[in-house]
Amino acid sequence: MAAETTKKWGMVIDQNRCIGCWTCAVGCKEINNEPLGFWWNRILTAAPGETTGESSEALANPASDNIDVPHGTFPDVEMAYMPVACQHCTDAPCVKVCPVGATFRRDDGTVLVDYERCIGCRYCMAACPYGIRVFNWGDAQQPVDFTVGYGKDYRTDGRLVFTPDRPRGVVEKCTLCVERIDVGEQPFCVEVCPVGARVFGDLNDTESEVAQLVDDGGATQLLPDLGTDPRIFYLPVDRERSV
Amino acid sequence: MATRVETPALRPAAFGRVGNGVIAALGLLVLWGIAAWIYQLTQGLIATGMRDVVSWGLYIFSFAFFVGLSAGGLIMASAAEVFGVKSLRPLSRLGVLTAAACVLVAAMTIIPDLGNPQRVWELFRYPNWSSPLVWDILIIIVYFAFAVADLTIMSRRTMEPSKRAKVLRVMAYAGLPTAVLLHSITAWIFGLQISRPWWNTALMAPLFVTSAILSGTAVVALAALAAHRFDRIRLPQETWTALAGLMAVAIAVDLFLVASDYITILWGNVPRERAALDIILPGGSWQALFWLEWIVGGLVPFVLLVVPRLRRRLDLLALASVLVLVGVYAFRIELVVGGMLRPLLRLAPGNALGSYKLGQTVFQFDGVYHPTWVEYAIVTGLVAFLSLLILVGYRWLRPVERDESAA
Repeated sequence: MAAETTKKWGMVIDQNRCIGCWTCAVGCKEINNEPLGFWWNRILTAAPGETTGESSEALANPASDNIDVPHGTFPDVEMAYMPVACQHCTDAPCVKVCPVGATFRRDDGTVLVDYERCIGCRYCMAACPYGIRVFNWGDAQQPVDFTVGYGKDYRTDGRLVFTPDRPRGVVEKCTLCVERIDVGEQPFCVEVCPVGARVFGDLNDTESEVAQLVDDGGATQLLPDLGTDPRIFYLPVDRERSV
Repeated sequence: MATRVETPALRPAAFGRVGNGVIAALGLLVLWGIAAWIYQLTQGLIATGMRDVVSWGLYIFSFAFFVGLSAGGLIMASAAEVFGVKSLRPLSRLGVLTAAACVLVAAMTIIPDLGNPQRVWELFRYPNWSSPLVWDILIIIVYFAFAVADLTIMSRRTMEPSKRAKVLRVMAYAGLPTAVLLHSITAWIFGLQISRPWWNTALMAPLFVTSAILSGTAVVALAALAAHRFDRIRLPQETWTALAGLMAVAIAVDLFLVASDYITILWGNVPRERAALDIILPGGSWQALFWLEWIVGGLVPFVLLVVPRLRRRLDLLALASVLVLVGVYAFRIELVVGGMLRPLLRLAPGNALGSYKLGQTVFQFDGVYHPTWVEYAIVTGLVAFLSLLILVGYRWLRPVERDESAA
């Protein structure tokens, strides 16, 4: 399968459509059997274009420390939702710092963690600009006593990149639902989004919706000045609409 | 020879009862640390105060601190040879002994920080050469081997003196760049990270080298002072003066570098860079670090080491050395914690904590870090082990040169 034309997986998140309902975050927790307290995907409340456009400043303080509260001072308030999970960077800092190559990047751009290789040094967590990695500090706590979601181990090139029962002392994060995309399905967050705010596909295929949105929709990346070149793109609320 | 030894005793009584008592006490602390580590192994790192936002803590800044302590030795031994600072020569063996002990303990400090310490062998089986951590492990091994070799040659009585002097001279020249590299690479673990504006400065390597010279000299000074007090070693006044002078210069350079960093951040006023600095500057939630670094571990020891009337007093030299260590340790805490407290993306609801406790929030804006007793116990055990190594090494190798013919 790998011998075919290389895929270049990418995702576009349309902030104009996102309603901040957390369905993608909850769906992610469910399909991946994420333990209590673990969120591979979380929905930040941002100002439109914040953290993406050149003029933006990632640390601009929110009006409030709460979600769903607009930014700015009345009457100049604005608000947008920004779902943030692993950005699957092309030049991923986590891949560069991992001392044992437990975090690696596949040819299709998916950044994964090998649960059997990770020594638990957490250098990747220090290196990730997006703060999306979570660590198994102790034994995983689950809300129910049975496994939910995909439910079995998944390996790519023999490396254990997903297991429903988390080993202690390893780092984990969004896998782009590697077990699903490898069999032609969509990542679960894309599938469950009730408003179609997420578009997933092959950026190498110029005909694909995702490639076209990236090309002509004014798509931006998160913290673009760091040069990590994420494969996750955002369509900010205040963009010039070409459609 | 500048060395004068007034005591004829080869194995003074002071090392007997008091020494054994100290060794027993240190041994107990080491056992306590091991017990805490075993407890941590049964619980996982949940037994520590580290969580997803501040994901490095006491272990990592102690690691950086121990690495720094190891500088004194090789740099001092090399300085005597390379720069011809003769007054430091009586301390070169003691210096190399502390260097070997400190770098060994530094390497050990990484182990309790790992989530899966049983996989540590993978560092050698699957090294990822782009990782500064791999470079660091390599240079730590090289440095330790170098210090042990240096110490072996220095202690060899059978070797012909002229030949030994020649070998040591070559090793001194090789030792200096090795030491500089060790501290630079340790600095780059932090300094190369674009995700942490507080770390990501080219000043990091010079800062680490300077603070390593500073804290390393302080450790050698304390060891020499202890030897002076309990082993009745007599060192010439110019040796103490040289130690004081070296520390004073290192404090000045260190604070100059830190100040340059502050000025750059303050003037630039880029919010993501200000975020960490504001926590540490007076008024911030971790401002204690500022006072510890600038006053307690900066200005006060600087005055003690510079004013001629004060620096002649050995008790004040001891005090200054301790304060210097406090200041450098504050710098390490400031570095690690300051870099992690405020993540780049600070939008509601914050970062996931990765742990779940009833009544506790699942998300966090600013990191919170309170080390647990487990972390304190393990680090105390490591410090005790380090003291044991230096003490036993001292007793065994008798590293401070003695003019035995004078006896």
